[in-house]
Amino acid sequence: MEFFANPLNQICYLPLLGALVIIFFLKREQSKAIKVVATVTAGLDFVISIPLWWRYLPEGNAFQLTYKASWIPSIGSSYHFGVDGISVLLILLTTLLGFIAVYSSFSAITHREKEYYVFLLVLQTGMLGVFMALDFVLFYVFWEVMLVPMYFLIGIWGGPRKLYAAIKFFLYTLAGSVLMLVGILALYFYNSTGLGAVGLEGLGNPATFDVPTLFGIAGRIPPGLQMWIFLAFFVGFAIKVPMFPFHTWLPDAHVEAPTAGSVILAGVLLKMGTYGFIRFSLPLLPDATQKAVPWMVGLAIVGIIYGALVAMAQKDMKKLVAYSSVSHLGFVMLGMFALNPSGLSGSVLQMINHGLSTGGLFLLVGIVYERRHTRMIADYGGLAKVMPVYATLFMIITMASIGLPTLNGFVGELTILIGAFNRSTWWAVLAASGIVLGAAYMLWLYQRVFFGDITHEENHTLTDVNRREQWTLIPLVVLCFWIGLYPKPFFRIMEPSIRRVVEVVDPGYLAHPRLPAVSTVPPPAHGR
Amino acid sequence: MLADILAVLPETALALMGMVVLILGLAKVRNHLAVAVLTLGSLLLAGVLLSHVGRAVDPGEHFMFGMFVLDRFAIYFKALLLACSFLTVLLSIDYLMRHDARPGEYLALVMLATVGMMTMASGVHLAAIYVGLELMALSTYVLAGYFRRQVKSHEAAAKYFVLGALSSGILLYGLSLLYGATGTLELQAIAGRLAQGPPSAAALAGIGLLACGFLFKVAAVPFHMWTPDVYEGAPTPITTFMSVGPKAAAFAIFLRVFDGGLAPVAESWRPLVWGAAALTMVWGNIAALTQDNVKRMLAYSSIAHAGYALVGLVAGGDAGVQSVLLYMLVYTVTNVGAFGLVILLESRGYAGQTVQDFAGLARKQPVAAFGMLLFLLSLGGIPPTAGFMGKLYVFAAAIRSGYVWLVVIAVLMSAVSLYYYLRIVLQMYLRDGEGVEPAPMVSAVWTERALWACAVAVLLIGLWPGPFAAAAAAGLGIMPLP
Amino acid sequence: MLNLLWLVLAFPLAGTCLLLAGARRLGHRATAAIGVGSAGLSLLVTLGALVSYAGMHGEVVTQTLYRWIAAGNFTVDLSLRLDSLSAVMLFFVTVVGFLIHVYSVGYMHDEAATAYARYFAYLNLFMFAMLTLVLGANLLVVFVGWEGVGLCSYLLIGFYFEKDWCAAAGKKAFIVNRIGDFGFLLAIVIAFKAFGTVDIAGLQAAMAADPEAAGRWATVLAVLLFVGATGKSAQLPLYVWLPDAMAGPTPVSALIHAATMVTAGVYMVARTSFIYALSPTALLVVAVVGGVTAVFAATIGLAQNDIKKVLAYSTVSQLGYMFLGAGAGAFAAAIFHVFTHAFFKACLFLGAGSVIHACGGEQDMRKMGGLKSHMKATYWTFLVATLALAGIPIFAGFFSKDEILAKVFAAGVGNLHGYGTVYLGLWGLGVVGAFLTAFYMFRVVYMTFHGEYRGSAEQRHHLHESPGVMVWPLRILAGGSVVAGLLGVSKAMVFDWFDSNWFEHLLHPVAPAVTVGHHVSLGVEWGLIVLSVGVAVAGIWLAKRFYFGPEAGAVPARVAAAWPRLYRTVANKYWVDEIYDATVVDGTMMLARGSWEVDARVVDGVVNGTALGTRGSAFASGLFDLHIVDGLVNKIADAYQWASVKLRRLQWGVVQGYALAMVVGFVLVLAAALWLGHAV
Repeated sequence: MEFFANPLNQICYLPLLGALVIIFFLKREQSKAIKVVATVTAGLDFVISIPLWWRYLPEGNAFQLTYKASWIPSIGSSYHFGVDGISVLLILLTTLLGFIAVYSSFSAITHREKEYYVFLLVLQTGMLGVFMALDFVLFYVFWEVMLVPMYFLIGIWGGPRKLYAAIKFFLYTLAGSVLMLVGILALYFYNSTGLGAVGLEGLGNPATFDVPTLFGIAGRIPPGLQMWIFLAFFVGFAIKVPMFPFHTWLPDAHVEAPTAGSVILAGVLLKMGTYGFIRFSLPLLPDATQKAVPWMVGLAIVGIIYGALVAMAQKDMKKLVAYSSVSHLGFVMLGMFALNPSGLSGSVLQMINHGLSTGGLFLLVGIVYERRHTRMIADYGGLAKVMPVYATLFMIITMASIGLPTLNGFVGELTILIGAFNRSTWWAVLAASGIVLGAAYMLWLYQRVFFGDITHEENHTLTDVNRREQWTLIPLVVLCFWIGLYPKPFFRIMEPSIRRVVEVVDPGYLAHPRLPAVSTVPPPAHGR
Repeated sequence: MLADILAVLPETALALMGMVVLILGLAKVRNHLAVAVLTLGSLLLAGVLLSHVGRAVDPGEHFMFGMFVLDRFAIYFKALLLACSFLTVLLSIDYLMRHDARPGEYLALVMLATVGMMTMASGVHLAAIYVGLELMALSTYVLAGYFRRQVKSHEAAAKYFVLGALSSGILLYGLSLLYGATGTLELQAIAGRLAQGPPSAAALAGIGLLACGFLFKVAAVPFHMWTPDVYEGAPTPITTFMSVGPKAAAFAIFLRVFDGGLAPVAESWRPLVWGAAALTMVWGNIAALTQDNVKRMLAYSSIAHAGYALVGLVAGGDAGVQSVLLYMLVYTVTNVGAFGLVILLESRGYAGQTVQDFAGLARKQPVAAFGMLLFLLSLGGIPPTAGFMGKLYVFAAAIRSGYVWLVVIAVLMSAVSLYYYLRIVLQMYLRDGEGVEPAPMVSAVWTERALWACAVAVLLIGLWPGPFAAAAAAGLGIMPLP
Repeated sequence: MLNLLWLVLAFPLAGTCLLLAGARRLGHRATAAIGVGSAGLSLLVTLGALVSYAGMHGEVVTQTLYRWIAAGNFTVDLSLRLDSLSAVMLFFVTVVGFLIHVYSVGYMHDEAATAYARYFAYLNLFMFAMLTLVLGANLLVVFVGWEGVGLCSYLLIGFYFEKDWCAAAGKKAFIVNRIGDFGFLLAIVIAFKAFGTVDIAGLQAAMAADPEAAGRWATVLAVLLFVGATGKSAQLPLYVWLPDAMAGPTPVSALIHAATMVTAGVYMVARTSFIYALSPTALLVVAVVGGVTAVFAATIGLAQNDIKKVLAYSTVSQLGYMFLGAGAGAFAAAIFHVFTHAFFKACLFLGAGSVIHACGGEQDMRKMGGLKSHMKATYWTFLVATLALAGIPIFAGFFSKDEILAKVFAAGVGNLHGYGTVYLGLWGLGVVGAFLTAFYMFRVVYMTFHGEYRGSAEQRHHLHESPGVMVWPLRILAGGSVVAGLLGVSKAMVFDWFDSNWFEHLLHPVAPAVTVGHHVSLGVEWGLIVLSVGVAVAGIWLAKRFYFGPEAGAVPARVAAAWPRLYRTVANKYWVDEIYDATVVDGTMMLARGSWEVDARVVDGVVNGTALGTRGSAFASGLFDLHIVDGLVNKIADAYQWASVKLRRLQWGVVQGYALAMVVGFVLVLAAALWLGHAV
């Protein structure tokens, strides 16, 4: 059974297996058993994903731990899994957040638990598949598969406007991805037979959806076609990211989704958009990417500032965090389209950071929501007195998200700024102004929720975070500090993959970088 | 001579068995099960014969005075059509029992309709095609109104008959014009004539009329209006049958005639079909959005799906034809499944037809709800279901031929379609704990078996489309063109 | 010893972790032990390090802990740097820090155990961050400390978070600082882009190696760095957070908002002096901002009645002096003033704290008075510090402030970079500031310690001297305020007998002064000295005249009455806060609400609009399929009614309608077919 001998397959399908176990062997009433199975599965999945950290060798091949099997030979689509430095990190993030999501739902979800955990696990399989697939059809399958469970998570266990939010999320993202499919097909046929009626000669290669193979023709696609394909991909990915102005599904989805849903949504789903850009758009369509840079960066910067401003005006905690995501992902896109190693590695690291800090924020909001069943900032105040531990954790995550040095956010933002600055001063200046705004709305939120006197009677009796809730957050906090204090291993893992991207999208760069090579001027004194 | 007899053996056998069943019916045999099993048996028999005969005869050869071929294309479609009828019968058994209707005529008619459809699939001579078409049509007219006591059903039959007759008329007129223009009814010969030079006005008119007739049969805009009423009115098993069998058969002749006989003048009819396809997809999906009656909704959805299939026809070429063949298979298993669940909910009268009847089904009947979810997702073309693979092939074919904008319309519309499919999902899964009750399910073992088959097929094609695509590819080379 | 440098940071950090972890369990005693202990240990390590560093001749010692960031070709090490400059800072930060930890043991004693632990945790964290800032070997590590102290100041200002205005003050401090940091961050990014490194030594070497590029970037870098400095060191226009920061506990005000953190800006300017040296413009900007702030803040200080507010504005003003000095190229002098200021300003704040402690939390000087008799030690230490601040000879402030004024004057007459007149003007401002300083400080002394007690009876009842744990730090700091100045006695004062300015020598290798060719004669220098002492004495005399004796406060009252508008303007700090609120803050909020409206209405509106449109057309097409055709045909149906009664049952109309529609369609198709066919 060498299919399951492959670690990627194991990681990807273990959650599905757990879901099947729950479906077939457990009854609705066995809530305890269901939780146990779900938690164990998710936890185990995280555990078996950890070895990727060292089993993937940065200096090795582009894609490693690959598994390839014939799937739909007639159209040259194969079942092809594999990871590079970027996806390894995202996979680890996914399995971790997946586990935390399950573990954090025990008390939040009280009805229809069986379905809930099944959907959560299926969702995880879908997301992992997206990050592992190296075949366009396979990628697309996973990409859409995970819409369905998410739709249910929002629609069944969501807030008051759940139905609207769920259908909006589904249709909006679907509309984007189907256009992406068109782009994929165009690419596919240009590689092989060409597009008849529009009179486009193909390259005549054997038809294939295999991504690494298609990387080979990146340079030979005519710019015009590149632009169209880029556009098609853009719609699909930009909606997912979400980039301004395609972001309006996000606040609704975030606000209505249950805590775990928001965590997954913010932590992983949004990354699929950015991942799509860095995995497909950049290395496959270098010319178009270069042409698109001003537009993309423009949208990114608008997103940064606009998202921050809108966040500032929110009265609903979750909405505020949701809009802060728009701002943070603006940073990710900015770094990515700086198209140089610093910018790209910064943006990848920032994907992880955002997953940790925003995921953490949603968990934290969920904790008080469970106690008070309101997300309105005005209903809180003075919590620091009754929930000191909670306040501390919230403070740390807040600081992580506004990019305080020694915490993860800072490293990401700084490297992104370095990269962006390297292309244009004004990008960096505008983007950096977003950091100030970020501090403003997050601290204002913190002040209104935790400081001052307790204004609502109910809040006097609030209990501090219990052990389980602490354990959902501690891993995130630890990682925030780790990345903040010693991000090197993360950069090390992604470095080669990012170099490969740069080599394609901006070949001149590595030859004679616009950036002076790091002058390792030894300090003019003897270190001891 | 012997070869001729051999080639039509499956049809002949099925027709004979049909007679037998009919006689049983006249003999007032009220044992539904026996009759049904006999029918199923004979359908299987036809299938077996088909597989043997198919291997025996030369696919290139014409039989019955050049009216009839048994190439891979025909075999593929015949197999598919037999499957349709088989599933239909399965769906019908419990239904007939429940309504205590006489099984004889009903099942006999289904078999005869099947014979007609199979003839269409094999016809390479416009006369043969027309005869098959009429045989199928007449049987379905009757079937649509089989339950005389139900006014709606009666009405549906009448409408279907009148409009169908009209379309047949148009079709016939088209045939005669084409005959006048080319002096032959044999597709190959027609192709030969048309290849010689620019088509005459008469030929073009004939082609136009032919297109009208076919578009009516596949229920494409602007000849779709009958569909919602008839689908809603007809007994649901028959609706199911009409939505898959005749549609598939119609596509068979559509392909055979247009991509075969009329291929030389493709430039003159392709834009026409392009327009029809676009219009059908848009109109079908948009109109479905507000339907509260599930049968009407599915009717419009089936219109839309005709549109997608037409995209494959527009794409043309081997890839196009293959995509349509695969799409028909996918569409059949999916649609039968969806309608089957409606039947399950139809405990009495027309219950189980409004969207609300599905409310909270997930809690009451998790398996059924999941099945419905599967079929709806497949209709919407969401992986990992068959529907996605069907669409993938169609769109791929179209883009390959460069009809990018048509595909853009198609994909956007398929996104829109999710809205109304999800309306049912929403009722089943999301409208829980609001005190709503789903319509009670009837126990219908045979229907359930059919559904299981469909569900398995949907997942299988979705996850492992390779073999099915290969089978569809085998149906290529509609006819050797001069 | 020097390779244990990292311990200086490690101890406070460890203290923080212990205290935060054990906040629930630890009692006052244990908390105090850990908190003070960690500060003390890091002081010991510092002294050890400094001793062994003294052995070597002012070389630069760097200790690289590990490689921090390596993204693309952007690499940064986490490394510490000990040179004479950081040594000086290291020394007084640890000393003053330790003393204030000790003082806090007494001052915060009434807090609940958890709050007590939280307080010391934050204080230790501050020590850690501040020392990181001081020891950072590259701009990024400095920035880490820079943000760290910002965080601690945020946490400690908001320490009494139940009070809304405390929390608000904390937030204000953090955000205003963020605006400054924005500049700092950009400077770092630019430095990397221009010179490929953010390491201070590396940067210096790179700039030396490539004068052309250095010249091109110096001004930008220097100005952006200074933007950061204005935030952290409360200069115009970003000073507004510091007065509010007095909301925090008084020891915090002493440590963070007087002695150490707020001087970080000056330190950073001196640290990067090699950049400023290349940019006359930047130097001028620094000097002007500093000079103007010095006087501006001093004037506000005149009319404040909250004792801590006065000290706060005096701090802003003194920081102005430091920048004035740095702006004149006299970085050593600036740091010297930082050094002395640390002692006497800390002493003043702690003294104020002791007073507030005695008056049961009262901060309004109008409700004080006559405390001299009740708290001797506090009074004398406070007086010493005041004299130092006022710049009375032999006290520390005299030497440092005079050094600055002398250097500015020299820059003026020496026409530094051709901006001579400006510098002379600034020198004038400096002298005015000296006068004002002396005045408002003695105003404080007289209002607080002299005259009759003006508080309530039961307040008077428990007026008491503070416990030894609070008094001893006062004594030590007062001592410092006396002797610290002797480290930097200018040559002039010893009649050029010998080069007595040890401090300048110490710092020269790291922060060489931007020298002017022209040399000021000895006579002139003495003239300056006499002048500055003179204005100080004049200020004291005026303060005595106004606030001492039987009709104390009568004259000021008359002045206020004479020019009410002027008085109100000054008393209300020129309404700067109000103006900022009205423009920047409200502006941003309006923008925020505006974009939220746009998002909800327009951006999302489009999306929902599309959906609505689709459903609408769906409805329409539904209508069309059913009713239009239906209606159109009902006419015909009516015609049929009389003809056939039977058939009406099956709405023939509809069918006919459909038939009609089909025929129409078929005609269209036909036409299309023919047209297309011929188009071919």
